[in-house]
Amino acid sequence: MTSNYRSLSLISLFAALMGVLGLIPKIDLPLGVPITLQTLGVMLAGCLIGSRRGFQAMALFLLAVALGLPLLSGGRGGIGVFFAPSVGYLLAWPLGAFMTGWLMERLPRATPRQSAFSAAAASAIGGLLVVHACGVAGLVAVAKLSWTQAALGTLAFVPGDLIKCALCAVVVHTVARGLPGWEPGRKQA
Amino acid sequence: MIGTLYSERPTWLHRWAAGSKLLALSIFTTALFTLESPRALIPAAMGAIAVYVSLGRTGPTGRRPVVAALIAVVLLCGFHALLGQPWVGASSALRLLGATCLGVSLTLTTRFDELLRVLETLFEPLQRWGLASKRLPLMLALMIRFTEHFFVQWQKLDEAYRVRTGRAGGFRILAPLCIQMLQAAHRVADALEARLRP
Repeated sequence: MTSNYRSLSLISLFAALMGVLGLIPKIDLPLGVPITLQTLGVMLAGCLIGSRRGFQAMALFLLAVALGLPLLSGGRGGIGVFFAPSVGYLLAWPLGAFMTGWLMERLPRATPRQSAFSAAAASAIGGLLVVHACGVAGLVAVAKLSWTQAALGTLAFVPGDLIKCALCAVVVHTVARGLPGWEPGRKQA
Repeated sequence: MIGTLYSERPTWLHRWAAGSKLLALSIFTTALFTLESPRALIPAAMGAIAVYVSLGRTGPTGRRPVVAALIAVVLLCGFHALLGQPWVGASSALRLLGATCLGVSLTLTTRFDELLRVLETLFEPLQRWGLASKRLPLMLALMIRFTEHFFVQWQKLDEAYRVRTGRAGGFRILAPLCIQMLQAAHRVADALEARLRP
């Protein structure tokens, strides 16, 4: 029973982390897609609370945004944001967190250093590849770009997101050292 | 305190039930994204824009998302015009602008709790498959409370770092913030269990 409440509080808490990261100003790129720190929240959720809870935390956050809370960076929110060209990136957050967590649960994490390397790899695949793949699909569907054009457009985000992967690894390393009982990506806390 | 994008200034759309507005939005946006013919798409998009305009002065919360959509639309149209396919650009622009106007109109005229009640009703059948829809309000309340709490924590950590080093904390304080969050999650889980366990 405790793990249910623990899951509930962890899910709410990591959805809140997304809100906190959204309070940091965004940078707008051409085609209406903003660079935000919130993708770091996607990576952290997957690495620190696992695949299932990471997915649920991101879904809860998107639900709160759809209900009208101005939690996306730049104070954006409401159902209207789901019709923008960046919708693919937004809807990819739960999938990205799930994939990051799924990989993190399977990669070695016996020591803080191993955890950090695993977090970097998991977040590069889940938080970067999955999110960008869905983002590109969104650009193709909504903005009617070709796959090549959309893929070229999304490349502008990759350097920033690689930095976020490294940052995620540093955070996971510090958490693994600071909370020795905590296993990043553990299914049951 | 995190506010919502709801506008207190009454309009004709405020009188509609949240469920009806959501249903209308779903039907209209599905239509917008499936229509291909300019004869149907142009009046549909104009209708959606007219709904938004009919709400009158919506203030910055209502204006900002539409302005952002307009910027995206201009860029899209320019991009497709450069590629020699102006109608593709124009049709995407009409869909985007129409759907955004409807979405913003819904957000401005519907209270957070009304939308939440509609979602709870919609999700109720999913309880059979283990989705605890009754827990949604609690989770949303916790999320809002935690967002404020951890933003204050972020500021405190930043201040402490600034006092020690004379520089802003930046991303260095993200790890201690995460540790605080994970510790808080244990305390909150214990408190929830003590209070809610049947």
